[in-house]
Amino acid sequence: MPSAAPLLRRAADRVLRASWLHPLNDADALNDLLGWVDPRWSLTEIRAELVRREPETDEVCSFWLRPNHLWPGFAGGQHLSVQVEIDGVRQQRCFSLSSDPAEPRLLRLTVKRHDGGRVSRWLHERLQPGDVVTLGAPSGDFVLPARLEHPLLLIGAGSGMTPVLSLLYALRTRAPQADVVLLQVCRSPADELFAGELQALARDWPGLRVQVWHTAQRGRPDAATLLAGVADAAARETYVCGPAPFMAAIETQRQALGASAPLHLERFGLPPRAPVDGAAADVRCTRSERAFAAAPGTALLAAAESAGLKPAYGCRIGICHTCLCHKRSGSVENLVSGERSDGDEWIRLCVSAARSDLELDL
Amino acid sequence: MTTLSKSMEKRMNAARPRLSRTQVAALQTELDAVRDSVMSTLGERDVAHIRKMIRRARGSAIAGRAMIGLGLDPFSFVVGVAALAHAKIVENMEIGHNVMHGQYDWTNDPALNSLRYEWDNVCDAGMWRHFHNYEHHTYTNILGKDRDFGYTILRLSDEQKWHPFFLFQPLWNAILALAFEFGVGGHDIQAERLLNGTMSWQEFKARSKPFHRKIRKQLAKDYVLFPLLTFWNAPRVLLGNLLANLIRNLWSYAIIFCGHFPNGTEVFSEEETRDETRGDWYVRQIVGSANIEGSRTFHILSGHLSHQIEHHLFPDMPAHRYAEIASQVRAICARYGLAYNTASFARQYGTVLAKVFRHALPSRRATPAFA
Repeated sequence: MPSAAPLLRRAADRVLRASWLHPLNDADALNDLLGWVDPRWSLTEIRAELVRREPETDEVCSFWLRPNHLWPGFAGGQHLSVQVEIDGVRQQRCFSLSSDPAEPRLLRLTVKRHDGGRVSRWLHERLQPGDVVTLGAPSGDFVLPARLEHPLLLIGAGSGMTPVLSLLYALRTRAPQADVVLLQVCRSPADELFAGELQALARDWPGLRVQVWHTAQRGRPDAATLLAGVADAAARETYVCGPAPFMAAIETQRQALGASAPLHLERFGLPPRAPVDGAAADVRCTRSERAFAAAPGTALLAAAESAGLKPAYGCRIGICHTCLCHKRSGSVENLVSGERSDGDEWIRLCVSAARSDLELDL
Repeated sequence: MTTLSKSMEKRMNAARPRLSRTQVAALQTELDAVRDSVMSTLGERDVAHIRKMIRRARGSAIAGRAMIGLGLDPFSFVVGVAALAHAKIVENMEIGHNVMHGQYDWTNDPALNSLRYEWDNVCDAGMWRHFHNYEHHTYTNILGKDRDFGYTILRLSDEQKWHPFFLFQPLWNAILALAFEFGVGGHDIQAERLLNGTMSWQEFKARSKPFHRKIRKQLAKDYVLFPLLTFWNAPRVLLGNLLANLIRNLWSYAIIFCGHFPNGTEVFSEEETRDETRGDWYVRQIVGSANIEGSRTFHILSGHLSHQIEHHLFPDMPAHRYAEIASQVRAICARYGLAYNTASFARQYGTVLAKVFRHALPSRRATPAFA
């Protein structure tokens, strides 16, 4: 017999979508009302309350969150977007989950503080137990394969350990006897993430070997030396999360070793490429699945039109907001005020010029 | 055409000194600075204001609908209608109008996004954004391009050509006031083009579609869903909702007619606004708009359209900030010899009504008509 929860949720969705019931089913209004009773309650959004903060290192902090009933769970290795409101503006960034996916009612995000990162800084400085944040659904394919056919090698460099740990937890649930080597690369013992947890895991898991490389002591590892330290590295299905050049070096070295087992890389969102002076930026359109080049100082609306796209427009001088467009990523300049802004936000195409590669909902 | 623009110039010269190009550029810099001083400080305060307004409108609507639907006595009926009318006024004027202008797009909050918002009246949000945000705010008071000037059924200046149709315009005015939301909702269909033969019946039908859809939605809500919800009280609910809509119509009509039609507001021809700079556009917004004086409550209930001049200069600035910059704008106007048209509601609306009557008849002096 199907459980009642999905049925109830489908019925609730129906009610929320029925236009003839408006405004009785106004989701915004109902969410505000529910949030007034308990800030975690919502009909449509995954909202989670901070239960505990755990400093991991000087720069890294873990946040334990208790999500509401809309939390669908996650697979080890996945990430999600965290939405917070900073000075009246909704900001969202993706962070990896570091907790055990088998734990249904509690999740942990481990976040490195970046001085330029508004959201990571806000989480570190402002988020306190009892506060509520909005979460996106977990996503990402840095997850265990459908069938475990090879021994495993997990490599986490710096805060790249975060998804690697939840992957390891998922593996323990699925194959407690699996043969797995975990390689952590970090600056010094003080920067080692999850040392205690890894020790505890290794105690009851004979197949798990944990190796740590301290760069302060041994310098940056080159891929050849690193993989040479792992028994039959080429035969292991490998998961790597870390800086892009590091991952590229591992990939090349594996090819050199003639590795046949699959390789999975988790690329953290890099800041979009800023073209050197005078060069055009690449604009990717997510809806039309097209791309166009935008020269610096040229309004995106004009650039899109000369590439054959037909965005909606009105006044073309920034008054009417008809050309308002959702920008997923990248940095733009307001041609009227000269102001620059970046990240996930809404922009007017007629008065915005690209300052980096962009992703637009167009 | 030349004679037309010359006489036009004469008329404008009589009204105010003509600004040199340097002056217009300096005015633009000054007004840009006013704009930037506010836009660079947008934040929590602005979001808190609009959310407070949303709560106010919702609370008032719930209270009003409950009193109308559940009450049995005339007192709760009157208070309920007042509360519902108040809710609709705050929602239409301070929330809907301002959110749909994009005043809160910078918050990234989907509930405050101009493309997503739909307001509580029969005008479709998409049509509104086209004829209001784009046409009216870009081509403000340019006869022939700003269809908001007189809404194509009223003659409010000597420059508009007279036609016997306008003889009855006090009547058209009264009808428009009572059914204002329908006037606004149907505005973007551009039915006058069907009458003068520049629009086909097919196009007319296609253009009407979003309006019809929105009417059905609104009628279903106010005259089917809510009466059925408290069916034993259905006639009372029907009447209460009708009255609340009517009050909202009269109020928004009165406020909006005071925006551009009182004495002293100027109109423009297409040719004199060709090749405008932002400075020229600013000048046109100032001399084409009129403010209404009043309390903070009055400003909120008018959606801050009582600060029509500031609104037309900075249509996507959160409207509750207009009062803060009004004195700066007024001082700038004074420096450049531009009239800052502001007066009480009674005075502004009085001159509008006088115009409705005066311009029903052909103008005595021969004034060039350019639309």
